[in-house]
Amino acid sequence: MRYTSFTSYDLILLAQGLGVSVALFLVTTLIGFLIGTIWAVMRFYRVPLLTPLITFLAELLKNSPVLVQLFLVFFGLPALLKINVTPVEAAVITLSGNTAAFIYVIAVAAIESIGRDQIESARVFGLSRWQILRHVVAPQAMAFAIGPLTGLLVNQLQVTSLISVIGVVDLTKIGNILNLRTLKPFIVWTVVGGLYYIAAKLIALGGARLERRLRAHTAWKGL
Amino acid sequence: MILAPHVPFLLKGALLTAEACALALFGSLVIGLLVAALRTSSSPLLSRAAFIYVDLFRNIPFIVQLFFFFYGLPEIGIYIDAFTTGVLALSIAGGAFSSDVIRSGILAIDTGILEAAEVSGLSKPTIFRKIVMPIALRTSIRPLGSVFINLVLTSSILSTITLNELTGSAKIVASDTFRPFEVYAVLLIVYASLTYLISLAIGALHRRLNRDRMPDVA
Repeated sequence: MRYTSFTSYDLILLAQGLGVSVALFLVTTLIGFLIGTIWAVMRFYRVPLLTPLITFLAELLKNSPVLVQLFLVFFGLPALLKINVTPVEAAVITLSGNTAAFIYVIAVAAIESIGRDQIESARVFGLSRWQILRHVVAPQAMAFAIGPLTGLLVNQLQVTSLISVIGVVDLTKIGNILNLRTLKPFIVWTVVGGLYYIAAKLIALGGARLERRLRAHTAWKGL
Repeated sequence: MILAPHVPFLLKGALLTAEACALALFGSLVIGLLVAALRTSSSPLLSRAAFIYVDLFRNIPFIVQLFFFFYGLPEIGIYIDAFTTGVLALSIAGGAFSSDVIRSGILAIDTGILEAAEVSGLSKPTIFRKIVMPIALRTSIRPLGSVFINLVLTSSILSTITLNELTGSAKIVASDTFRPFEVYAVLLIVYASLTYLISLAIGALHRRLNRDRMPDVA
Protein backbone atom coordinates (compact mmCIF):
# COMPACT_ATOMS: atom_id res chain seq x y z
CA MET A 1 0.00 0.00 0.00
CA ARG A 2 1.38 3.40 -0.93
CA TYR A 3 1.09 6.27 1.48
CA THR A 4 -0.96 8.21 -1.05
CA SER A 5 -3.89 5.79 -0.98
CA PHE A 6 -6.90 6.26 1.28
CA THR A 7 -7.04 4.20 4.49
CA SER A 8 -9.94 3.43 6.79
CA TYR A 9 -8.28 5.70 9.37
CA ASP A 10 -9.08 8.65 7.09
CA LEU A 11 -12.75 8.13 7.93
CA ILE A 12 -11.94 8.61 11.62
CA LEU A 13 -9.99 11.76 10.73
CA LEU A 14 -12.98 13.10 8.80
CA ALA A 15 -15.32 12.27 11.67
CA GLN A 16 -12.97 14.06 14.07
CA GLY A 17 -12.85 17.11 11.84
CA LEU A 18 -16.64 17.16 11.54
CA GLY A 19 -16.89 16.83 15.32
CA VAL A 20 -14.59 19.84 15.85
CA SER A 21 -16.54 21.92 13.30
CA VAL A 22 -19.93 21.03 14.78
CA ALA A 23 -18.76 21.49 18.39
CA LEU A 24 -17.32 24.94 17.66
CA PHE A 25 -20.47 25.82 15.72
CA LEU A 26 -22.69 24.82 18.66
CA VAL A 27 -20.57 26.60 21.30
CA THR A 28 -20.23 29.84 19.33
CA THR A 29 -23.93 29.81 18.39
CA LEU A 30 -24.86 29.49 22.05
CA ILE A 31 -22.51 32.28 23.19
CA GLY A 32 -23.48 34.44 20.21
CA PHE A 33 -27.16 33.92 20.92
CA LEU A 34 -26.71 34.95 24.56
CA ILE A 35 -24.66 38.08 23.74
CA GLY A 36 -26.86 39.08 20.81
CA THR A 37 -30.03 38.71 22.88
CA ILE A 38 -28.53 40.71 25.77
CA TRP A 39 -27.63 43.49 23.32
CA ALA A 40 -31.18 43.49 21.93
CA VAL A 41 -32.66 43.63 25.44
CA MET A 42 -30.38 46.58 26.25
CA ARG A 43 -31.78 48.30 23.20
CA PHE A 44 -35.33 47.43 24.31
CA TYR A 45 -34.61 49.15 27.66
CA ARG A 46 -33.03 52.05 25.74
CA VAL A 47 -29.83 52.02 27.80
CA PRO A 48 -28.19 55.37 26.96
CA LEU A 49 -24.70 55.41 25.40
CA LEU A 50 -24.55 51.62 25.16
CA THR A 51 -27.25 51.33 22.50
CA PRO A 52 -25.50 53.40 19.79
CA LEU A 53 -22.20 51.76 20.70
CA ILE A 54 -23.67 48.27 20.25
CA THR A 55 -25.33 49.23 16.98
CA PHE A 56 -22.01 50.56 15.67
CA LEU A 57 -20.14 47.44 16.78
CA ALA A 58 -22.74 45.14 15.21
CA GLU A 59 -22.56 47.05 11.91
CA LEU A 60 -18.76 46.84 11.94
CA LEU A 61 -18.80 43.09 12.58
CA LYS A 62 -21.50 42.52 9.96
CA ASN A 63 -19.75 44.53 7.26
CA SER A 64 -16.22 43.18 7.46
CA PRO A 65 -14.81 39.81 6.37
CA VAL A 66 -14.77 37.14 9.08
CA LEU A 67 -11.27 36.21 7.93
CA VAL A 68 -9.98 39.69 8.82
CA GLN A 69 -11.74 39.56 12.22
CA LEU A 70 -10.12 36.19 12.78
CA PHE A 71 -6.65 37.58 11.94
CA LEU A 72 -7.27 40.59 14.20
CA VAL A 73 -8.05 38.34 17.16
CA PHE A 74 -5.46 35.66 16.47
CA PHE A 75 -2.48 37.80 15.38
CA GLY A 76 -3.51 41.26 16.59
CA LEU A 77 -4.71 40.71 20.15
CA PRO A 78 -1.58 38.80 21.35
CA ALA A 79 0.66 41.53 19.93
CA LEU A 80 -1.39 44.32 21.52
CA LEU A 81 -2.07 42.85 24.97
CA LYS A 82 1.00 40.58 25.23
CA ILE A 83 -1.15 37.52 25.88
CA ASN A 84 -1.30 34.07 24.35
CA VAL A 85 -4.30 33.27 22.20
CA THR A 86 -4.65 29.69 20.96
CA PRO A 87 -6.31 29.08 17.58
CA VAL A 88 -9.38 27.56 19.25
CA GLU A 89 -9.75 30.55 21.61
CA ALA A 90 -9.42 32.97 18.71
CA ALA A 91 -12.02 30.97 16.76
CA VAL A 92 -14.48 30.97 19.68
CA ILE A 93 -14.08 34.72 20.30
CA THR A 94 -14.40 35.70 16.64
CA LEU A 95 -17.27 33.42 15.67
CA SER A 96 -19.24 34.23 18.84
CA GLY A 97 -18.85 37.96 18.21
CA ASN A 98 -19.83 37.59 14.58
CA THR A 99 -22.89 35.45 15.37
CA ALA A 100 -23.88 37.89 18.14
CA ALA A 101 -23.88 40.80 15.67
CA PHE A 102 -26.22 39.01 13.27
CA ILE A 103 -28.48 37.71 16.04
CA TYR A 104 -28.70 41.25 17.46
CA VAL A 105 -29.98 42.53 14.12
CA ILE A 106 -32.52 39.71 13.82
CA ALA A 107 -33.67 40.17 17.44
CA VAL A 108 -34.12 43.94 16.98
CA ALA A 109 -36.21 43.36 13.84
CA ALA A 110 -38.25 40.70 15.65
CA ILE A 111 -38.94 42.98 18.62
CA GLU A 112 -39.90 45.83 16.31
CA SER A 113 -42.28 43.54 14.40
CA ILE A 114 -44.59 43.53 17.41
CA GLY A 115 -47.19 46.27 17.23
CA ARG A 116 -46.83 49.31 19.49
CA ASP A 117 -50.47 48.97 20.53
CA GLN A 118 -49.81 45.58 22.10
CA ILE A 119 -47.05 47.00 24.28
CA GLU A 120 -49.18 50.02 25.14
CA SER A 121 -52.15 47.92 26.19
CA ALA A 122 -49.86 45.68 28.24
CA ARG A 123 -48.57 48.79 30.00
CA VAL A 124 -52.14 49.95 30.63
CA PHE A 125 -52.77 46.63 32.34
CA GLY A 126 -49.92 47.53 34.70
CA LEU A 127 -47.32 45.08 33.47
CA SER A 128 -43.71 46.06 34.17
CA ARG A 129 -41.24 46.45 31.31
CA TRP A 130 -39.69 43.08 32.17
CA GLN A 131 -43.12 41.36 32.26
CA ILE A 132 -43.98 42.87 28.88
CA LEU A 133 -40.68 41.59 27.47
CA ARG A 134 -41.08 38.17 29.01
CA HIS A 135 -44.78 37.45 28.34
CA VAL A 136 -45.77 39.65 25.39
CA VAL A 137 -42.72 40.40 23.31
CA ALA A 138 -40.49 37.33 23.66
CA PRO A 139 -42.90 34.57 22.52
CA GLN A 140 -44.02 36.46 19.43
CA ALA A 141 -40.53 37.72 18.60
CA MET A 142 -39.22 34.15 18.79
CA ALA A 143 -41.81 32.91 16.30
CA PHE A 144 -40.93 35.81 13.99
CA ALA A 145 -37.16 35.33 14.31
CA ILE A 146 -36.93 31.59 13.81
CA GLY A 147 -36.98 31.82 9.98
CA PRO A 148 -34.12 34.33 9.60
CA LEU A 149 -32.34 32.57 12.48
CA THR A 150 -32.29 29.27 10.60
CA GLY A 151 -30.84 31.00 7.55
CA LEU A 152 -28.21 32.62 9.74
CA LEU A 153 -27.19 29.35 11.37
CA VAL A 154 -26.81 27.59 8.02
CA ASN A 155 -24.52 30.46 7.06
CA GLN A 156 -22.57 30.43 10.32
CA LEU A 157 -21.84 26.72 9.92
CA GLN A 158 -20.14 27.54 6.63
CA VAL A 159 -18.28 30.41 8.24
CA THR A 160 -16.67 27.98 10.71
CA SER A 161 -14.68 26.57 7.77
CA LEU A 162 -12.54 29.76 7.84
CA ILE A 163 -10.96 28.85 11.17
CA SER A 164 -8.91 26.22 9.35
CA VAL A 165 -6.82 29.15 8.05
CA ILE A 166 -5.49 29.93 11.55
CA GLY A 167 -4.76 26.27 12.24
CA VAL A 168 -7.82 24.83 13.98
CA VAL A 169 -8.08 21.19 12.85
CA ASP A 170 -11.68 21.32 11.70
CA LEU A 171 -13.28 19.53 8.74
CA THR A 172 -11.72 21.86 6.15
CA LYS A 173 -8.26 21.46 7.69
CA ILE A 174 -8.65 17.67 7.58
CA GLY A 175 -9.63 18.07 3.93
CA ASN A 176 -6.43 20.05 3.38
CA ILE A 177 -4.31 17.39 5.09
CA LEU A 178 -5.91 14.54 3.13
CA ASN A 179 -5.63 16.56 -0.09
CA LEU A 180 -1.90 17.10 0.36
CA ARG A 181 -1.29 13.46 1.24
CA THR A 182 -3.44 11.64 -1.31
CA LEU A 183 -3.25 14.23 -4.13
CA LYS A 184 -6.85 13.40 -5.05
CA PRO A 185 -8.52 16.82 -4.71
CA PHE A 186 -11.79 15.87 -6.41
CA ILE A 187 -12.56 12.98 -4.09
CA VAL A 188 -11.39 14.76 -0.92
CA TRP A 189 -13.19 18.06 -1.48
CA THR A 190 -16.35 16.36 -2.73
CA VAL A 191 -16.52 14.29 0.47
CA VAL A 192 -15.78 17.33 2.67
CA GLY A 193 -18.32 19.44 0.78
CA GLY A 194 -20.88 16.64 1.07
CA LEU A 195 -20.46 16.48 4.84
CA TYR A 196 -20.95 20.26 5.15
CA TYR A 197 -23.98 20.00 2.87
CA ILE A 198 -25.60 17.30 4.99
CA ALA A 199 -24.94 19.27 8.18
CA ALA A 200 -26.47 22.42 6.63
CA LYS A 201 -29.55 20.48 5.51
CA LEU A 202 -30.00 19.06 9.02
CA ILE A 203 -29.92 22.58 10.49
CA ALA A 204 -32.46 23.80 7.93
CA LEU A 205 -34.71 20.82 8.68
CA GLY A 206 -34.50 21.41 12.44
CA GLY A 207 -35.29 25.10 11.96
CA ALA A 208 -38.35 24.32 9.84
CA ARG A 209 -39.63 21.85 12.47
CA LEU A 210 -39.15 24.36 15.28
CA GLU A 211 -40.86 27.09 13.26
CA ARG A 212 -43.94 24.90 12.76
CA ARG A 213 -44.05 24.24 16.51
CA LEU A 214 -43.67 27.89 17.49
CA ARG A 215 -46.27 29.05 14.98
CA ALA A 216 -48.73 26.26 15.80
CA HIS A 217 -50.99 28.57 17.83
CA THR A 218 -51.33 31.08 15.00
CA ALA A 219 -51.63 28.52 12.19
CA TRP A 220 -54.92 28.08 10.40
CA LYS A 221 -56.54 24.96 11.83
CA GLY A 222 -59.66 24.93 9.69
CA LEU A 223 -63.22 25.58 10.72
CA MET B 1 2.11 56.51 11.19
CA ILE B 2 3.73 53.11 10.85
CA LEU B 3 1.60 52.08 7.92
CA ALA B 4 2.40 55.07 5.71
CA PRO B 5 5.26 53.48 3.70
CA HIS B 6 3.11 50.43 3.01
CA VAL B 7 0.11 52.28 1.63
CA PRO B 8 1.08 51.90 -2.07
CA PHE B 9 1.49 48.15 -1.58
CA LEU B 10 -1.90 47.91 0.13
CA LEU B 11 -3.48 49.98 -2.63
CA LYS B 12 -2.18 47.48 -5.18
CA GLY B 13 -3.88 44.75 -3.20
CA ALA B 14 -7.08 46.80 -3.03
CA LEU B 15 -6.95 47.22 -6.81
CA LEU B 16 -6.69 43.45 -7.24
CA THR B 17 -9.69 43.00 -4.92
CA ALA B 18 -11.64 45.56 -6.95
CA GLU B 19 -10.74 43.83 -10.24
CA ALA B 20 -11.68 40.39 -8.91
CA CYS B 21 -14.97 41.70 -7.49
CA ALA B 22 -15.90 43.56 -10.68
CA LEU B 23 -15.25 40.50 -12.85
CA ALA B 24 -17.01 38.22 -10.37
CA LEU B 25 -19.98 40.60 -10.22
CA PHE B 26 -20.31 40.39 -14.00
CA GLY B 27 -19.85 36.61 -13.95
CA SER B 28 -22.33 36.01 -11.17
CA LEU B 29 -24.94 38.24 -12.87
CA VAL B 30 -24.61 36.27 -16.11
CA ILE B 31 -24.80 32.93 -14.31
CA GLY B 32 -27.56 34.22 -12.04
CA LEU B 33 -29.72 35.35 -14.98
CA LEU B 34 -29.18 32.08 -16.82
CA VAL B 35 -29.93 29.90 -13.80
CA ALA B 36 -32.93 32.02 -12.82
CA ALA B 37 -34.28 31.58 -16.35
CA LEU B 38 -33.80 27.82 -16.07
CA ARG B 39 -35.42 27.66 -12.65
CA THR B 40 -38.50 29.54 -13.79
CA SER B 41 -38.70 27.65 -17.09
CA SER B 42 -41.61 25.31 -17.80
CA SER B 43 -39.32 22.30 -18.21
CA PRO B 44 -39.24 20.33 -14.94
CA LEU B 45 -35.87 18.78 -15.82
CA LEU B 46 -34.14 22.12 -16.35
CA SER B 47 -35.63 23.75 -13.27
CA ARG B 48 -34.67 20.71 -11.20
CA ALA B 49 -31.06 20.87 -12.46
CA ALA B 50 -30.90 24.61 -11.71
CA PHE B 51 -32.28 24.01 -8.21
CA ILE B 52 -29.61 21.38 -7.49
CA TYR B 53 -26.86 23.80 -8.56
CA VAL B 54 -28.18 26.59 -6.33
CA ASP B 55 -28.77 24.26 -3.39
CA LEU B 56 -25.27 22.77 -3.57
CA PHE B 57 -23.32 26.00 -3.93
CA ARG B 58 -25.32 27.80 -1.25
CA ASN B 59 -24.83 25.07 1.34
CA ILE B 60 -21.13 24.28 0.91
CA PRO B 61 -18.57 26.69 2.44
CA PHE B 62 -16.89 28.94 -0.12
CA ILE B 63 -13.42 27.94 1.01
CA VAL B 64 -14.19 24.27 0.22
CA GLN B 65 -15.48 25.24 -3.23
CA LEU B 66 -12.37 27.33 -3.79
CA PHE B 67 -10.02 24.50 -2.84
CA PHE B 68 -12.05 22.14 -5.02
CA PHE B 69 -11.35 24.31 -8.06
CA PHE B 70 -7.83 25.40 -7.09
CA TYR B 71 -6.49 21.89 -6.48
CA GLY B 72 -8.93 20.04 -8.72
CA LEU B 73 -8.68 21.87 -12.04
CA PRO B 74 -4.93 21.16 -12.61
CA GLU B 75 -5.74 17.49 -11.93
CA ILE B 76 -7.90 17.35 -15.07
CA GLY B 77 -5.35 19.27 -17.13
CA ILE B 78 -6.74 22.80 -16.80
CA TYR B 79 -3.93 25.11 -15.76
CA ILE B 80 -5.16 28.59 -14.89
CA ASP B 81 -3.64 31.07 -12.44
CA ALA B 82 -4.93 31.76 -8.94
CA PHE B 83 -6.64 34.99 -9.99
CA THR B 84 -8.73 33.33 -12.70
CA THR B 85 -9.57 30.43 -10.38
CA GLY B 86 -10.64 32.89 -7.70
CA VAL B 87 -12.84 34.90 -10.06
CA LEU B 88 -14.34 31.68 -11.42
CA ALA B 89 -15.15 30.33 -7.95
CA LEU B 90 -16.57 33.70 -6.82
CA SER B 91 -18.74 33.91 -9.95
CA ILE B 92 -20.12 30.40 -9.51
CA ALA B 93 -20.87 30.90 -5.81
CA GLY B 94 -22.22 34.42 -6.40
CA GLY B 95 -24.29 33.12 -9.31
CA ALA B 96 -26.11 30.72 -6.99
CA PHE B 97 -27.03 33.55 -4.61
CA SER B 98 -27.97 36.10 -7.27
CA SER B 99 -30.06 33.57 -9.20
CA ASP B 100 -32.25 33.18 -6.13
CA VAL B 101 -32.73 36.95 -5.94
CA ILE B 102 -33.42 37.31 -9.67
CA ARG B 103 -35.82 34.34 -9.53
CA SER B 104 -37.97 36.05 -6.92
CA GLY B 105 -37.83 39.20 -9.06
CA ILE B 106 -39.13 37.17 -12.03
CA LEU B 107 -41.87 35.50 -9.98
CA ALA B 108 -43.05 38.93 -8.81
CA ILE B 109 -43.76 40.06 -12.38
CA ASP B 110 -47.44 40.53 -13.12
CA THR B 111 -48.53 37.57 -15.29
CA GLY B 112 -50.71 39.93 -17.31
CA ILE B 113 -47.57 41.49 -18.79
CA LEU B 114 -46.31 38.07 -19.89
CA GLU B 115 -49.67 37.11 -21.39
CA ALA B 116 -49.81 40.39 -23.28
CA ALA B 117 -46.33 39.73 -24.67
CA GLU B 118 -47.29 36.20 -25.69
CA VAL B 119 -50.43 37.36 -27.44
CA SER B 120 -48.36 39.95 -29.29
CA GLY B 121 -46.54 37.01 -30.86
CA LEU B 122 -43.13 37.56 -29.26
CA SER B 123 -40.95 34.49 -29.03
CA LYS B 124 -39.97 33.13 -25.62
CA PRO B 125 -36.31 34.27 -25.78
CA THR B 126 -37.41 37.76 -26.81
CA ILE B 127 -39.90 37.96 -23.96
CA PHE B 128 -37.16 36.97 -21.54
CA ARG B 129 -34.54 39.38 -22.90
CA LYS B 130 -36.75 42.41 -23.54
CA ILE B 131 -39.41 42.17 -20.86
CA VAL B 132 -38.67 39.74 -18.02
CA MET B 133 -34.97 40.53 -17.58
CA PRO B 134 -35.17 44.33 -17.34
CA ILE B 135 -38.09 44.26 -14.91
CA ALA B 136 -36.61 41.52 -12.71
CA LEU B 137 -33.19 43.20 -12.59
CA ARG B 138 -34.41 46.62 -11.65
CA THR B 139 -36.85 45.50 -8.98
CA SER B 140 -34.28 43.24 -7.34
CA ILE B 141 -31.40 45.73 -7.38
CA ARG B 142 -31.37 46.07 -3.59
CA PRO B 143 -31.07 42.34 -2.73
CA LEU B 144 -28.58 42.00 -5.59
CA GLY B 145 -26.60 44.73 -3.87
CA SER B 146 -26.38 42.77 -0.65
CA VAL B 147 -25.25 39.75 -2.66
CA PHE B 148 -22.52 41.95 -4.13
CA ILE B 149 -21.49 43.23 -0.71
CA ASN B 150 -21.22 39.63 0.44
CA LEU B 151 -19.10 38.93 -2.64
CA VAL B 152 -16.67 41.68 -1.63
CA LEU B 153 -16.40 40.28 1.89
CA THR B 154 -16.00 36.74 0.54
CA SER B 155 -13.21 37.86 -1.80
CA SER B 156 -10.95 38.10 1.27
CA ILE B 157 -10.91 34.28 1.25
CA LEU B 158 -9.00 34.41 -2.06
CA SER B 159 -5.93 35.22 0.05
CA THR B 160 -5.84 31.52 1.01
CA ILE B 161 -4.96 30.49 -2.56
CA THR B 162 -1.78 32.60 -2.70
CA LEU B 163 -3.57 35.58 -4.21
CA ASN B 164 -2.27 38.86 -2.74
CA GLU B 165 -5.43 40.90 -2.83
CA LEU B 166 -6.27 43.38 -0.04
CA THR B 167 -6.28 40.81 2.78
CA GLY B 168 -3.29 38.95 1.33
CA SER B 169 -1.14 42.08 1.10
CA ALA B 170 -2.25 43.18 4.58
CA LYS B 171 -1.00 39.81 5.84
CA ILE B 172 2.43 40.52 4.31
CA VAL B 173 2.51 44.04 5.76
CA ALA B 174 1.52 42.69 9.19
CA SER B 175 4.42 40.25 9.24
CA ASP B 176 6.85 42.87 7.87
CA THR B 177 6.02 45.55 10.44
CA PHE B 178 5.28 43.27 13.43
CA ARG B 179 2.18 45.42 14.01
CA PRO B 180 -0.63 42.94 13.28
CA PHE B 181 -3.22 44.66 15.47
CA GLU B 182 -2.91 48.05 13.79
CA VAL B 183 -2.82 46.54 10.30
CA TYR B 184 -5.87 44.31 10.74
CA ALA B 185 -7.84 46.98 12.62
CA VAL B 186 -7.30 49.38 9.72
CA LEU B 187 -8.18 46.62 7.26
CA LEU B 188 -11.43 45.92 9.13
CA ILE B 189 -12.41 49.58 8.93
CA VAL B 190 -11.42 49.78 5.26
CA TYR B 191 -13.67 46.84 4.38
CA ALA B 192 -16.54 48.22 6.48
CA SER B 193 -16.31 51.67 4.83
CA LEU B 194 -16.03 50.06 1.41
CA THR B 195 -19.20 48.02 1.87
CA TYR B 196 -20.96 51.06 3.37
CA LEU B 197 -20.12 53.10 0.26
CA ILE B 198 -21.35 50.27 -1.96
CA SER B 199 -24.65 50.12 -0.08
CA LEU B 200 -25.07 53.90 -0.51
CA ALA B 201 -24.39 53.57 -4.26
CA ILE B 202 -26.90 50.73 -4.54
CA GLY B 203 -29.56 52.79 -2.78
CA ALA B 204 -28.98 55.60 -5.28
CA LEU B 205 -29.05 53.18 -8.22
CA HIS B 206 -32.27 51.62 -6.96
CA ARG B 207 -33.94 55.04 -6.74
CA ARG B 208 -32.68 56.00 -10.19
CA LEU B 209 -33.85 52.80 -11.93
CA ASN B 210 -37.25 52.81 -10.25
CA ARG B 211 -37.86 56.57 -10.39
CA ASP B 212 -40.95 56.26 -12.60
CA ARG B 213 -42.75 53.83 -10.31
CA MET B 214 -43.35 53.21 -6.63
CA PRO B 215 -43.05 56.85 -5.55
CA ASP B 216 -43.51 55.80 -1.92
CA VAL B 217 -40.63 53.31 -2.08
CA ALA B 218 -38.17 55.48 -3.97
